[in-house]
Formats: sequence, structure tokens, C-alpha cells
Amino acid sequence: MFKLSPCLGAPLVAALLAFASSAAMAADLGPVSSDPVYVRGWEFRTDVVQSNVDHYNKDLNGHVDYQTVTGDYPSLMESQLIAGGNLDLIYGNPSSAFRYNKGGWVLTADQLPGGDKALADMYPNIRDAWSDNGKLLGLSYFVTTRGLVQVNLKKYGGVGMKDADFPATWSALYDQLYVLRDKGIKVPYLPHWYNEWSGIPWAFTFEVLNRGGQVADAKTHAPMLTVAGPGGDTLRDWKRVYNDGLVPKDVITWNQAAYLQAWGSGQYVFSPQAAYDLKTFNDPATSQIAGNVTFLPYKGQSWGLLDSALYLTVKRDRSPDALENVKRFASWYGYRDQNGQTAVADRWLDEAMLFSAYKSVMESDHAKQAIQKSLSRPNDYKALIDLYAATPYPTGSWNVVWSDEFNSWLKDQLQLFLSENRDVGATIDAINAKIAELNKENGL
Amino acid sequence: MPFPGQPGTAPGPRGGARELSNLQFALFLALPVIVFLVLVVIYPLLYAVWLSVHKIEFFGGYHATYVGLQNFVDIARSAEFWQSTLISIRFTIESVALTLCIGLGIALVIARPFRGRSFVRALVILPWSVSLYGTGVIFFYLTSSQGGVVSAVAGLFGAQQPVSIVNGATVIEILALGNAWNLAPLVGFFLAANMATTPERLYQLAAVDRLGVLATFFHVTLPPLRFTFFVFACIVTVMSLKLFDYVYLMTGGGPGRASAVLPYELYKISFQNLKLGLGAAMSFYLLALILLSTGLLYFVWGRRLNRST
Repeated sequence: MFKLSPCLGAPLVAALLAFASSAAMAADLGPVSSDPVYVRGWEFRTDVVQSNVDHYNKDLNGHVDYQTVTGDYPSLMESQLIAGGNLDLIYGNPSSAFRYNKGGWVLTADQLPGGDKALADMYPNIRDAWSDNGKLLGLSYFVTTRGLVQVNLKKYGGVGMKDADFPATWSALYDQLYVLRDKGIKVPYLPHWYNEWSGIPWAFTFEVLNRGGQVADAKTHAPMLTVAGPGGDTLRDWKRVYNDGLVPKDVITWNQAAYLQAWGSGQYVFSPQAAYDLKTFNDPATSQIAGNVTFLPYKGQSWGLLDSALYLTVKRDRSPDALENVKRFASWYGYRDQNGQTAVADRWLDEAMLFSAYKSVMESDHAKQAIQKSLSRPNDYKALIDLYAATPYPTGSWNVVWSDEFNSWLKDQLQLFLSENRDVGATIDAINAKIAELNKENGL
Repeated sequence: MPFPGQPGTAPGPRGGARELSNLQFALFLALPVIVFLVLVVIYPLLYAVWLSVHKIEFFGGYHATYVGLQNFVDIARSAEFWQSTLISIRFTIESVALTLCIGLGIALVIARPFRGRSFVRALVILPWSVSLYGTGVIFFYLTSSQGGVVSAVAGLFGAQQPVSIVNGATVIEILALGNAWNLAPLVGFFLAANMATTPERLYQLAAVDRLGVLATFFHVTLPPLRFTFFVFACIVTVMSLKLFDYVYLMTGGGPGRASAVLPYELYKISFQNLKLGLGAAMSFYLLALILLSTGLLYFVWGRRLNRST
């Protein structure tokens, strides 16, 4: 769990810490040779990334070559890593980071300039989530709560519902969908079941976690689901709202873009989304429900899971100078610049409300202002920080080499569970059996 | 200066330097092509054979363990493989039928002169110029309930909720339609070119015999197109059986596994699950399916065409 709130009242301490770190970090992070640094990122705000890279190249005479990779990013990167391609800095969700590290393709963060300071500046739970055998796998790209349930206040208030009616648990949420239907909203809920590895499998994972369960054991990775427990409860709730037509049934065929577009259209009352998309949906330029989007607060049950990504430095054959260039740029981009500022992380907060793993970033006044600007109601800031601090992380099924393969398989199974009205018990048994099979295959 | 073997040159050694024989010179000229083929066909093929008899592991250190034919056995025992094979066959049959029918329709429209024919021809060929990636994007948004055409039309008639047409039962038909939309213009142009070679006199004779429109179509228009149909049936079969990017982009193999065609399954095993040995073994099954399908087409249809000509 996070411990953000107590420190938020001490901006002076944070400022002093930041100043001290700045002074220590104002090292030369420019390249030592003309060897290029190859950065390959996925398609998210490529304008911001390009601009950051341009700053580095201009200010420090760098030779960073940035390109966007379209398609199945984790698999494409893995193929490139196997082939020893020109990769130096890439993105990675923790599950991919673990997998790449097991393949021996990751240069851990302790080998980067300022890596020890970055490690000390991280929230302990995130640092632990991003570490393999005590080694931090990369520097912070973003952290967010995915699966926080956004509320369309226009629709919710339109049928006479108020904040006091907000459900506190997943089961209460599903029960309330029937109330909303009786009040005239036929399809009130847009579930996080879109047809991608980050869609329906993650929805199952965060609901199980929020209900107090685990998909796999954090240490042994053994299967943990039971028919009578959170896994079975999740599937039973899914089945009833799907069969009763309270969700758009073809959400299981949509990609993430269509899913976001659907929520922004304002047709639905509730939808689990990423916390950073509160900014998108409260922006009139991108949403038809701007200014009317809030979220279910933490009332004893967490909502969603900790979604995050790291900047991973690739371990491969290079000249010492080329390696030094890569390390310096990785440090500049993933933590502090030549002036000791967390410029890249600060910019992500401004541009896309991407949270950072660094305390010095998140506990600054700048962060508070950036977040508040993206929310529809003043009280939402504290509610968001409280919810964020309670967000769980699925160590057992993510920090393991089979995670991506499991998610891909789980996507198909959960879609089949819904579309073919399969049995809850048989599905839980199949998931447990798959985890056991993957553990066996990988010698775990 | 004349080359060896050209008229006016004497074969054999001359001036101390051994002259190349015709065969040697031909081989010398063909060398770049042979090297190219070895690099782009033979080497990958042999590498795939090697992969298919090994278990490759990357995590915890690279290991390649010889497993004989175990990967082939594992694939043959996999229910997902057989399910994907059936899905691929269904998708291919529907794609071929739709492509040839739509292509014929296009040919019938553009073959006869009419005002604005050049414009229509240019318009009709456009889908073929769209990449399969682009086709996937277009058909995803056309058929999706979120912003799709059906929902938009239903909205015009007062529907409150988006209308969904993509589900486990229909996804293959929708995929086949998109595939045909992409390929049919090419078929249409070839059929139209073929139709242009049919002597006008035959149509005049049909008119003299008072054949109706349908009878003229079946007895005059269609018979000369048989060979073109056969060739394109083979081409579309091969292209549909190995189609990946369009399916990946439009449905991601879903919903569930309803559109998990063999190349998609192969991609998942090889590149998502990183089981390269199993993936290579599956690729040989896919190759066998392609050869079997085209062979079957030849034995059932092609040989008859050969005999009749």
C-alpha cells in the first residue's frame, strides 16, 4: 500500500529533498561519443516523447534515435531482443520486464548514473513490484490505477442518484446496475472486457484482487482461485450482468480505442478505466462527458490494480562508449536531467496525468496542481490519492516469466466463458490448471 | 567484344585463359539468383526444419534441445490446432466464393462500354490498393457497434443502443467479406480482360438463337472465364490460408477463439508464447494444408480444364 498522504502536507521537506538531489545529480549526462542511442516506444503521446528526445539531442548534443513501434509491442520487442537488434531503451510493463530479465536482456537500474538515488526516491511498494531478486529492473515511466470505476455524473444524477448512493464493492456495483435499469438506463455499465491482453484478463485480475483474493501466489506462483472465493464471485457477477443485457455484449470484440471512445460517448453510467484517463474524459476536446466524470471512492474495498511501465535499458553487445551513452540517456530520461530536475516525469503529469514512482515527483505542489486540473470536482484529488494508496498489485501472476502467455490465454477463456455461457466452476478449474501447467513448463 | 559461345567465337582455351563452357557461363549468370534463393528460401526453410525438431528455451539461458518429431506430435494432439484448421478452412472457402462472385459482378459491370466507365474502373480498383492492415482498420470500424455503419443506420431509425453484428457466429463471414472486398477488384479486372477476348460474333449468334440474358451468360460469357476462375481460386486460397495481419488487426482471433485462424495461432505460439519449435512444426502443417488445398483444386477442377482445352 502507498503512503502518500502523510507526506503531501510537507512540501517544504520535499522541496529540500529535491534541491539536495538536484545538486547531487547535476552531473554531465551528455553522450561521450557519437554512438547513437536507439529508443523504441509504443504508440502513446509520441509527440511528447519526440519533444523530450529533441530536448536531449539539442541541449546535450545527443544522438538519440527515437521511433514508434506499432502492433504487438511486447512480442515485437522480444523478437528484437532475441535477434540482438538495435535497441537501447524500451518500455515495458512489469510482466514484460520480468520476462526480458529472465532472458538476460535487461541492464538493471543500479548500473545507471544516479540509479541508487532513483531507487531511494521510489515508493517502496512500487520498487518491490519492479524488482527481481532485489535488482530494480528499470526507471519509472508511469504508475496508475487501472480499473478505477469512473462515473458519468450526467447520467447518474439524471436518474436521481447521488454520491451517497455510490456502491462500495464490486457486488454492490453489479446490484446497482439493476436499479439503474429500473430507472430507465437499459445498458448502464461498460466493463473493462475489451479484446486485448490488457482488457478482459486484467479486469478479472483486478476484481479478484479487489475482492481480497489472488490469482496466483506471490512467492510460489501456485494457483489460488476457488469457486467459492473471489474468483468464482467475479465470474458469477459477470455472467449475470452479461446474460441480463446490462453491458454491451460486443465489448469483447472491441479494441482499446473503441472501448475508450464508447465511454467518452456518454452512453454508460459506470466503467472501469485508468486513472490517467480522468484527464482525457474531463477534457471537452476529447469527451462528450467532460466535467461530469468522477470515480467510485475507496470505502474499504480497493478498485482496480496498479498498472505501470518502466523504461528498460537493454543489455547487449556494445562498445564501452556506446554503453555509457545509453546509461546517461536512460538516467536523464528516466529520472533527473542535467539540471537535476525530474523534467520528463513532470511533463507526463502535465500532459497526460501519468503518475510517477518517485516520491519527489508525486509529493510536489506541481503534481497536486497537475492532478487537480484534470479532475471535475475539488474533493476528487484527496479521493484519488486515497484510492491510489490502496491499489493492489498482482505480484503472483505478473512478476513471473509466464505472465504474458497467461494473459493471452486468459483473454480467450474469459471471452468464451461469457459468449458460450460456460460453467463458473469449470472455468476456475481451467484457469488454475493453466497456471499449474505454466509453472511446470517453466520449472517453477 | 563477343562473349564466349556467341557466334564468331571459338570454344575452348584461347590465349592461355580457359574459356567457360555454355553451361558454366549459364550457371555463372544464374549465380546471383541461386545465392538469392538460398538466402531467402532455402536457408529459412532449413532453419524452420531445424527449429521444428528442437525445443528452444530463452529464459534462464538459451537452450536448444533436440526432441525429434515431438513438436509435430504435440501439435497434432492439440485441440486448438484442429479448431484453428477448421476455422481457416471455413474462412478460405467463404473468401474464395465471395471473391470470385464479387469479382465476376465487377467484371460484368466494367466489361461493357458505358458513359463514365473509366471513372468507375478507377473507383472499383481502389479497395485492391488498400493494404491488408488498412482493410482491417476499415472493416473493424465499419462493423463495430461502436461507430459502425449498422449502428449509424439503426440510429437514424431511432435505435437507442448500438447494434452489434460481430459475434462468434458471424465473425468469419465478416472477415471473409473484408478479404473479398480487398481481393475482388483484381479478379474483376482479370475477368473483364478475359471477357474482352470473347468474340462479339458469339453474342450476335446467341441473339439470333434468341437466348435470354441468363442463357447467354451461362453459354457465352461464362465458359471462356473458367481458366481465370481456376487460377484465382488457387491464388485466393493460398492468400486466405496464410492471411494474418488483417485478422490480427480486425478481431485479434476473437471473440473467444472464433476467428483464430491457423496463421494467428501460429503467431501466438511462436511470438507471444515464444515456443519456436512448436510454431515451426505448426508452420509445416500450414504448408501442407496449402499444398493439399491447391492440389485438391487442381485434381478436381484444373485437370478437367486441361482435358477440355
